[in-house]
Amino acid sequence: MPLRPARRGRVGVIGHPVAKTAVVARAVTPGRAPVAKTAVVAAAVTPGRGGRRRRI
Amino acid sequence: MTDTPLDELGPVDYVVVEFPAGAKNFTGEMAAELLKLVDAGTIRVIDVLILDKNEDGSVDATELSDIEQLGEMETIEAELAELLAAEDVDHLAAAMDPGSTAGVLIYENLWAAPFASAARRSGGQLIANGRIPIQAIIASIEADPVGATTEGD
Repeated sequence: MPLRPARRGRVGVIGHPVAKTAVVARAVTPGRAPVAKTAVVAAAVTPGRGGRRRRI
Repeated sequence: MTDTPLDELGPVDYVVVEFPAGAKNFTGEMAAELLKLVDAGTIRVIDVLILDKNEDGSVDATELSDIEQLGEMETIEAELAELLAAEDVDHLAAAMDPGSTAGVLIYENLWAAPFASAARRSGGQLIANGRIPIQAIIASIEADPVGATTEGD
């Protein structure tokens, strides 16, 4: 079924293809990778949504 | 629909729950539990989409409003904000296997909103977040010699 027109032509919020989370069937030892800093959004960002306020 | 000021918005998360081909067993239990979270004020559902990934990799998206007999989910459908854009569908479906169906849920963590607001007003900014798998916690406890020896003492 088609998406609603409001979803077309807008910039998305996910930003990149999503990788599948590993489905863990049993207890595993997590890696010791350091935590990366999340990108800090300095201001309310409305990419590609000129003038239209969305209700969220 | 509430027009929540951005400064008061709680953290917004998404989950994609995949149902592999042949493993779909929809009983209404998931909807009931989701409604409980909404009714309790724990979360606010912002958007929902149902995705079907075909064997050729193409994706069909279904709006919640296109589903017949929504039942109590109609109250949620009426409040949706359609946050996801068409390009998000492709991004989210990248995690799906061909032949599977997935429910995409975007939700605001209302329970965390006051704290998040206070953190922002205090000059704090989120620099990392994530989810720790239960399996990792179990593994960590089991690998801890102190915890392993004291347990049950």
